[in-house]
Formats: sequence, structure tokens, C-alpha cells
Amino acid sequence: MEDFSYQKPKTVDDAREAYSASADGLFLAGGQTILPVMKLGLAAPSAVIDLGGIEGLRAILVTDSVVSIGAMATHATVAASGDVRQAIPALSDLAGMIGDPQVRTRGTIGGSIANNDPAADYPAAVLALNATITTDKRQIAADDFFVAMFETALEEGEIITNVEFPVADAAAYAKFANPASRFALAGVFVARTGNSVRVAVTGAGTCVFRVADMEAALAKDFSATALDGITVATENLNTDIHASAEYRGHLIGVMAKRAVEAAQTKGGGK
Amino acid sequence: MTDVHIGDAVRRVEDQRFLTGQGNYIDDINMAGQARAAVLRSPHGHARINGIDTSRAEALDGVLLVITGRQWLAFGMGTLPTKTGVRKGRNDTDINEPPRHCMAIDTARYLGEPVAFVVAETQVIANNALELIDVDFEPLEAVSDAVKALAPGAPRLWDDIPNNLCIDFELGDLEGTEKAFAEADHVITLDLENNRVTAVPIETRGCVGSYDAATETYTLYNATQNVHANRDMFAENVLGIDKQKLHHVAPDVGGGFGAKNSAYPEPPMVLYAAKKLGRPVKWINTRSDSFLGDTHGRGQTSRVQIAINNDGTFLALRTETVGGIGAYCWTIGPFTPTGGSARTQGGPYTFPAMYYRGRAVFTNTAPMDPYRGAGRPEATFQTERIIEYACRKLGLDPVETRRKNLMPPEALPYMSPMGMDIDCGDFPLLFERTLEMAAPDTFAARADRATKAGRLFGFAIAPYLECTGGAPKEYAGVQFKEDGAVTLAVGSHSTGMGHETVLPQLLAARLGIDFDRIQFTQADTDATPIGGGHGGSRGMEVGGNAVAQAADEIIVKATPLAAHLLQSDAAKVTFADGSFSDATSGASVSMTEVIEASMDQEPGFLDTGATFERGVISIPNGCHAATVEVDPDTGAIQITGYWVMDDFGTVINPLLADGQVMGGIVQGIGQALTENIIYDDSGQLITGSLMDYGLPRADVVPNMVIDYYEGAPTKKNPLGVKGAGEAGCVGALPAVVNAVLDALKGHGVVHMDMPLTPEKVWRAIRDKGAHDPEALMRDAC
Amino acid sequence: MPKISLTVNNKPVTQDVEGRTLLVELIREGLGLTGTHIGCDTSQCGACVVHVNGQPVKSCTMLAVQADGAEVLTVEGVSPDSGLNPIQQALHEHHGLQCGFCTPGMVMTATALLKNNPDPSEADVRHGLEGNLCRCTGYQNIVEAIMAAAKTMRS
Ligand SMILES: Cc1cc2nc3c(=O)[nH]c(=O)nc-3n(C[C@H](O)[C@H](O)[C@H](O)COP(=O)(O)OP(=O)(O)OC[C@H]3O[C@@H](n4cnc5c(N)ncnc54)[C@H](O)[C@@H]3O)c2cc1C
Ligand code: FES
Ligand code: FES
Repeated sequence: MEDFSYQKPKTVDDAREAYSASADGLFLAGGQTILPVMKLGLAAPSAVIDLGGIEGLRAILVTDSVVSIGAMATHATVAASGDVRQAIPALSDLAGMIGDPQVRTRGTIGGSIANNDPAADYPAAVLALNATITTDKRQIAADDFFVAMFETALEEGEIITNVEFPVADAAAYAKFANPASRFALAGVFVARTGNSVRVAVTGAGTCVFRVADMEAALAKDFSATALDGITVATENLNTDIHASAEYRGHLIGVMAKRAVEAAQTKGGGK
Repeated sequence: MTDVHIGDAVRRVEDQRFLTGQGNYIDDINMAGQARAAVLRSPHGHARINGIDTSRAEALDGVLLVITGRQWLAFGMGTLPTKTGVRKGRNDTDINEPPRHCMAIDTARYLGEPVAFVVAETQVIANNALELIDVDFEPLEAVSDAVKALAPGAPRLWDDIPNNLCIDFELGDLEGTEKAFAEADHVITLDLENNRVTAVPIETRGCVGSYDAATETYTLYNATQNVHANRDMFAENVLGIDKQKLHHVAPDVGGGFGAKNSAYPEPPMVLYAAKKLGRPVKWINTRSDSFLGDTHGRGQTSRVQIAINNDGTFLALRTETVGGIGAYCWTIGPFTPTGGSARTQGGPYTFPAMYYRGRAVFTNTAPMDPYRGAGRPEATFQTERIIEYACRKLGLDPVETRRKNLMPPEALPYMSPMGMDIDCGDFPLLFERTLEMAAPDTFAARADRATKAGRLFGFAIAPYLECTGGAPKEYAGVQFKEDGAVTLAVGSHSTGMGHETVLPQLLAARLGIDFDRIQFTQADTDATPIGGGHGGSRGMEVGGNAVAQAADEIIVKATPLAAHLLQSDAAKVTFADGSFSDATSGASVSMTEVIEASMDQEPGFLDTGATFERGVISIPNGCHAATVEVDPDTGAIQITGYWVMDDFGTVINPLLADGQVMGGIVQGIGQALTENIIYDDSGQLITGSLMDYGLPRADVVPNMVIDYYEGAPTKKNPLGVKGAGEAGCVGALPAVVNAVLDALKGHGVVHMDMPLTPEKVWRAIRDKGAHDPEALMRDAC
Repeated sequence: MPKISLTVNNKPVTQDVEGRTLLVELIREGLGLTGTHIGCDTSQCGACVVHVNGQPVKSCTMLAVQADGAEVLTVEGVSPDSGLNPIQQALHEHHGLQCGFCTPGMVMTATALLKNNPDPSEADVRHGLEGNLCRCTGYQNIVEAIMAAAKTMRS
């Protein structure tokens, strides 16, 4: 790994400034993505700006209608938070399925969505729950946030401060894990709020995406059988040594049904 | 005093240091003034090296030495020869053995082959220097698949070796087999693949070398399984020095499974650099480079055929295998797909005729060398798969058919058509007991429960026949010290199996002395005159018997002294349970007392060095059974039950035997379900990290129930042991794969190649089992 | 070079480190605590697990500077003055280790697991070991040992 200067600012403003002042700066959150990348020489920043010293970025606030998670909240805290579990159990479940206990100790929601790995879990929750991403500059709707593989709406040096999830009436996440890496081979997050249903798929395409046909069918009839016969076009799905696009397409159908069933039985929030 | 016996589950003494972080592994060794090394590896599967410019690397501050292949050759360094036992092929042809240097000379023939070697003040500098070496590579057409490599017109790895053929080997009775095939009611054919995998010991390889100019002696600490054999190769073959001038020691080794067996290229380069620079040099491999340069295993494509009658009687077995061995002949690389996979064909069944042909083929891939089982898992898989497949094709009951064809104990001893001396065992008994453990009367209810949960239940039973291997000779040296300590030095080598406990246990039990007093040494060329290291499940069979023999010699030496202490006559004194006694007088004296008394004799009075030589390899055997549940919607497999009966002859320490069996089974499960080394056609490795190469984790493996049959100790060695280290791997592949296929029988699925990924399972179900049984070997038979 | 202060196994430590120095490098090379191992370069194997402020982390995937001010616990710091702690003892009794290379990581992961969940099911334990690879044991004896240790520690 190339050496770099290391800074640990105490405020978001200082972090932004440190970033602007650096030639090739990089924010560090839990490091569970970026450090392996740097170790393999695939990123070599001149300055690393650790967001771990900023007060308040780890906060989790839960009200009747919103679960607000600070960007630096770790997967382990979200998985263990009683408040989150009560409001959106699917979200705690999802956080508990990310990686392994050690990764969950350090990895953060901000890092996960900023990175936008096509096989990451959180983007599915953010998109299906119609969350709002707050940064140091603005608020971004989930639908606008995930742009492409490893690409988001974040601008240079923009810092995610928290993510607000509206509490859904019912939600669940079903993940089929890659047997080697344990990232999602196909993961489907289903959320129903009133008559509106959102279905987000991760792991299968180059970027998390919604499935309009499934959402429409589920809005009419929120049951697994409502999804019978609905297929996802495979042209845009990934093929790699672990799974073909065709298989991923099939898994989306199976996981979507399982998520709906789970949402019906235990996915209720309030 | 700690009393230990043969058969006791003695807890391990080495645990203390491993549990508290006090183990001494290769990366824990640091020598004063050491420099660090790094290896530049070929980024191509096959490429001509038109030139290497090292000037930028040499100019980097802190770089001490850069070596290229051409320079290595100019230093007069020798090649690493193969030690394969199979050197003659069909029609008396000789093996093709191209020169294997420590570095690529002018041509790189596999991804990861060493191209240059750098030594620097620090690891960071050494790694940075690699990026400053400019190599003019001219990529060549590569061939990574062994069947394709044999085809006419395939790219050649070696100009003078046609068809990339290393050796074309055969064994058995071709005529008898053909006759049986002509006469049988049915001949069933199945092409199958035994996927290429790699051992992935959690500790990567590494070594630290130094040179003492005063004595002109090298010292090499090395994470190896085989200090003596590799010392000879490094010293005599590569460096061209007397082997006494190289002291080779393995510290605690973090797993091997075959992948630390071979004579690898890096240690001689480290030794050369240590001498040249006059300071110690340390090299530690990375996991990423391990995937490229560690030896791989299995990787065979085979056509298996069985001649079988309507009533299920087996008449003959014929197997033709093609195995890619990489670009060179490694330590025993050409042996595995040839002799190694031939011997245990047919398993514990009566096959009146058998024939095996195996071709070892050069490919642009990492080298192939032993991986736990080296040939026996392949043979067992081939045998058990063709039986299961034939049963399905002919509507025969797989349990009944196996039962019918198992060799009865009365038939033993039996010389198999593959030349195996099967001396003892009770295959039907082990089969029935394993079946009993799996409780078939519960299957209907279990299948029912699975169905209700939307899953498919499957069961398979897989008897196996094994054989030991590895170096046939072993040495054990025992010394008695004034302070009461007893030292035991053995040339066999544990890389986790527990020799530090079980060999002292054996010595203590045999002599009736205090277990705690024994200090154990292994894996040090100065500690034992010879040593066969680790491999072929030989630890107890050869190492253990050397210890037993040393104990027996000590008893003989001690008897006159005991007689003297008993004021008796040596002829009247007998030894049992740790004491010498005179039956007439009833007087007795313990071995411990005799040892104490021996301290007044000439120094080393009882000290003993014994060399044991195995006559005929022994035949471990047993039976595995597994139940699985398959989710037909996703293709996901869960192993829900696992049972094993093993006949390892006498079991010295059942706790350690269990550990060997469990570890082996899980490596087998890994291969069957998730592990896969995949190269693309250009020789790039697609599964070169733990993100893509699926090692089994705790949550995918079942609880295993293991039991032993000790009713048939072998007479081939005094301890009656048969070898336990590899058997788990041997039985697991067919047990798991056949159980999954059983679960899918309602969907018409008759065959799938490993690893059984969820997608393959899902596709097989979707395609209702459509399958071409002759697809893989059509061009090669 | 940043100077950092932390405690390692309850002892205060002050060290100059480079920004890029990994926690595992500080522990192994800087402090000579070689019980923490390195088994991979992609954060998968768990041979390097230590505790930072009481929680398990992969020390190969954390910068040393990030541990500034933290309490770090390694395998060298978990045993009582004499003998083994209940988890180590159970691993010994149940033959939960062979080559021992994964063992320090297993001990640290198991310690955290039982702290967070003193009465785990077998499935909890197996799931909790997701980040720790062992190539020798087949896991069964490790799982049995952790279950047994949990029982000992509860009573
Ligand atoms: C072994 C292993 C297994 C894993 N398994 C899974 C899995 O199953 N599912 C899954 O989803 N993930 C998995 N991960 C990834 C893990 O969840 C990471 O924690 C996560 O993707 C990144 O979070 P982080 O906090 O570690 O971010 P970092 O690695 O610190 O940063 C990632 C990127 O985000 C940027 N960034 C971080 N925080 C912010 C912010 N607040 N504002 C703007 N930019 C920011 C950084 O600059 C960097 O580019 C795994 C990781 C490992 C090592
Ligand atoms: S060394 Fe493998 S996870 Fe840290
Ligand atoms: S004991 Fe060897 S890796 Fe676990």
C-alpha cells in the first residue's frame, strides 16, 4: 500500500475542507471496502480523511414514522438496535446478513451506499424503503442516488451524513448469497406502505434496481402468488462464474416471493 | 506421572502454545539483519520473454538484489527433477520430463510462474521494485484444459513434446476387461470430471534463509511438509552443494494437505540471495500469489465404464483419465493421474477384471502435485459414481447392488486386478454399520418433512478403499537424559495432525513411562538422519512404527539391566505394562527405574535410533453416508446428516483420528459443492481469491458421526495401523454427490459434475436431467 | 508519522506509525505479538481477529491509526495468569484445533460471540464463525468447544 497523510477531522465541515485541500483525498468510514481495495493497490489516495472522529454521525434516531441512521452507524449497531428492529425489522435483519461479525463491527451504512457495490445489501433497503440520503449539501431521494455500478449521485467530496427510512407497513429482505464471497447473488427487498409497494433488487444487475411489474402486481394483491408469471428481463443482468443472467433472473422471482411471504408473517413495523 | 495407553484420547500438548498465541510459524521468525524478498510472477498463461530490464528496480533505494531467469541459469543453478514413481508409460515409453528451473527461462508457461526475484531492505521496497521491472513479454497461445491440450493442433508447451503428453500410462487387464465388456448384459459409460482444486492451508508458504560463511552452511526455515527430501533437492539438484551443508528446519506449519510437500522454487532463490548478500533473507507468500503458484490437485477428466449384469453383478471396470499436470513435472505431479489414481479403482468391490489408462498432460496452469488423497479420492469417485449411475440407468437399488458386490471377508487376502494387496478388513460389516447409523427407517419421515418444507430429500452410501503412500522409511531416535527427560525425534512430520502428542503417547504407552517427560522433535534435518515428512497418510503407519520399533529395541537393551536389578537371568525376565518381572521370584522393576539405573552405565546406554521400513502399503477402508436436502427453487443444497465407519486398523488416539476424518470430509464437501479452480482459455485464473474460490465455512458443514472398526488390524506392520489422514477426503466426494443426485431423481437428473453449484442444480432440474454421458471424453478416447 | 497511543492487552503503548500501517502490522511487527496471524490479503480468513474496544475486528482491515486511543485485545491477552480461559480450555478438550493457525482468530471471535450472546444455539455459533476460516478441523469440534465453553461460563 502506498503511504498517505491521515486526518481525523471532528466536524463535517473540517472533513470537507480537508478533502478540498488534498490532491487526491479519500473518505474513510469502516474501511471494510476501501482498505482491501487499497491493499491490492487498486486505490492509492494521497490523503485519507477518517470520518470516524465526527460527532453525531453514528446516531440512530427512531420515531413513529422515520428511522434515521447516521452514516457512520455500523452494520452491527443497526442489527442490534432494538428501536430499529421494532420499527423496520427487515432493516435490522439485512444489517445482520452483511458479511461476517468482524465486517459488521466496522462497516457502515454510509460507506456501503457510497460505494454502491452491485452486490451490496443496503442499497436494496434504501431503494425499496424509499429512503432519503442526507449529505453535507443536500437531500437525495433513493431513486436518484444509485446511478451505476460503483457510482452514485454524490459529487466530489460530498459527505453522506445520514439516511432516513420511512417506516413501512410491511417489509422483508430475502438474500441468496454467493457461496464464496457471501455477497448477494440476488437479493430482493420488498416494502409495502399503504397501497404502495416497492421492490428493489441487488446482486443481479450492475446496480440496484426496482421491478415495476412486481410492484404493480403486489400493489393490487400483496401475496407471493401475485408474482406468478412475472419475469425480469435478463439482458441487463450479470453473468459471471457464480451465476448466469438467466439464473439470476430466476432467483429474483424466487427471492421476491420469499420476501413477500416473510413480510406478511413478520415484516410488519408499527 | 501421566499414564497413557494406546487407544486413549490423549489431549494434545501442542495446543497450549497454539491457544495462547505462542506458536512459532514461519512468519514469526525474524533474523537479525534480515532482508525481504518478493517474486515477480508471470501475468500471462504462456508468453515468450524477449527481455527483462531490471535497471529501474535496481536503482530504487533499498533494493539489494534482482535476479532474472537468464541470470539464474548463468549462476549454474540446476533443475528440480520429478520423483514420480511412475516413469514408464504404455509400450515401454519413457516419461517426458522437461527441465524445471526455479525461474522461467525465456518462456513463462503458467500464470504466476516466477520471472524475477527481488531482495530489498523492506517488504514495501521489494514489492515496489517488482513494479519497476520491465519485462518484454510476447504472449503465446495457451492451453489450460488437458483434453484440449491433447488434441491435434493444440498449442504446444514444449517444442519437443508432441501433444503435450507427459506420460500415457496403463494398468490392469485390458484383455480380460474387454472380454467381460463383450459378455456382460450391460456396459454403462459415464464421462465425468473431478474438478481442479487447491489446498489453501490457512498459513501461506514462506521461508527464511541464512548462510554462515565460516562453516559454509546454509540454514533454511521453511513452511514445508518435507524437510529431508526438499533439502536434498535444493542442495544437490539446484545449488549443487553437499546436502550436509544445508540445515533444513520446519517450524510450526499452519496446515499443508499436500500443498507444502513439493520442492518449490522460492527457497533456493532465498538461499542464493542469503549467501550473496551475506545476510538472512525472508520471503512470505501472499494469499493471492498462493492461488497462482501453490500446487493444485485433482483436475481429472475421465471416461468410466462398468460391465454389469441384469442381476447387478459387477464384471469389469474400465477408466480412462486425462489429467492436466501444469507446465512441468513437479515432485510427483505425473503420478497422480496415472499410478496414483489407478490403484484403488474398483474400491472394496469384487471386480473380476479392471483396466485403467491415465494420461498426464502439460497445460498452461499452476503445477499439479499431491492434494490430500492424491488419486484415491479420484478413483473412489469414479468407481462410486459409475455404480450409482448404472443403478439409476438399470433401475437397480443402489444399496442392494453395492451390498451384493462387496468383497466378503472370506475373500481376503486378495490381490486386486490393480495390484493392491488387500489383506484384511470386513467391508460388508462396515457397510451395514454405516447404514444402521444413518437409520434408513427414518428416511421416509425425513423425506416427508422435507417435502412439506418444499425441499427434496436424498441419501447415499459410499464405501471406500484407500491405500497409504509416501516415503517408505522412517527413523525414530530416543535419548534418555540425566534429568529424567526423554527426547524423541522422528522424521515424519505433523503440520497439524498432532504427532507431538500421539508419538510420545505411543512411546510412553509402549515403555510404560511418564508421558510428560517426553520432549518431541520433528522436521529438522539435524535431528534425524532420514525423514519422510508428511504425505500419504504415513505418519502413524511409518513414523508410528518407527517409534514402536525404537521402544522395542529399548526394551531389549534394558532387559539385561533389569535382570541384573532383579538379580535374575535375562532369559527369565519378561516385560509387560511398563515393568520387567521375573515370574519365578515374582519380583519386578519398572522401566522408569531401569532407565534411572542406566544412568550409571556408559552414556547413552539405552539411547536408540530405529529405522522402520514399510514392506507393503496398507489398506485403510470404510464407508461414508450422507443425507441432503435440496431446495428445488434455488438449487441450494444442505447436507443434513453425515456418518462414517472407518477401518484404520488399530486406532492409537481416537480424538486425533476424528480430527483427521472431519477435516478431510469437509475438504471433500468443499470440493463437491463450492471449490473450483477455473482457468480461461488464455491461462488466466478466474477463481484466484477467497472471494471467488469458495472454502467451506462453519455454517455449511453438517455434524459428522464417526466410528471405528478395530477388528482387523493389519499384519503388514507391527502396530496394525492403516493410515487415517486422507480417508475423509476419499469418501466424501461420492457420498455428497450421490446423495444430491438421489434427491433429484424425481426430476430425472442422473449426473452433474462438481462443484454442485446452486445454478447447476437448478438447471439440471429445469432440463429434466438432459445429459450427454459421453460429452467430455469424446475427443480423447 | 502519526504518533498513536492505545492500550494493548491492558498495557499502554505509544508508537509512531505510518498512515498506511495496518493494525495487524503494528501488533505483529511493532509490538512483536505474533499470535495474531495473517492468512489472506482480501479480508476473508479471520486469522487476524482481535478486539478493538471489546468488539471483534479483522486487524488486517483496519489502520493502526484508527486504533488511536482504543483498547486492543489480542490472543496473548485473554488467558488468566495461569492456564487457559474457558474457551481455550474447551478448544483443547474438544480437539478444536489442529495446525493452530486459525486458532487465535477463533479464540477472539468466540470470546466476542459469547460476550454478545452467552447462550447461543449451535446455529448461532456456526453463523458467528462466518468470518473465520479453518482448513483443518472441519469446524465441528470448534463449534462443540464453543458450546461447551458457553455452558461453563454460564455456570
Ligand atoms: C469479508 C467481507 C464481506 C463483506 N460482505 C458484505 C456483504 O455480504 N454485503 C454487503 O453489502 N457488504 C459486504 N461487505 C462490504 C461491507 O459492508 C463494507 O462495510 C461496506 O460496503 C463499506 O462500508 P465501510 O464503512 O467499510 O466503507 P469504507 O470502506 O470506509 O468506504 C467505502 C467507500 O465509501 C466512501 N465513503 C464512506 N463513507 C462515506 C460517507 N459518509 N460519505 C461519502 N462517502 C463515503 C469511501 O470514501 C469509500 O470510497 C463485506 C466486506 C468484507 C471485507
Ligand atoms: S488476514 Fe485474512 S482476514 Fe485478516
Ligand atoms: S487448525 Fe489449521 S486452520 Fe484451523
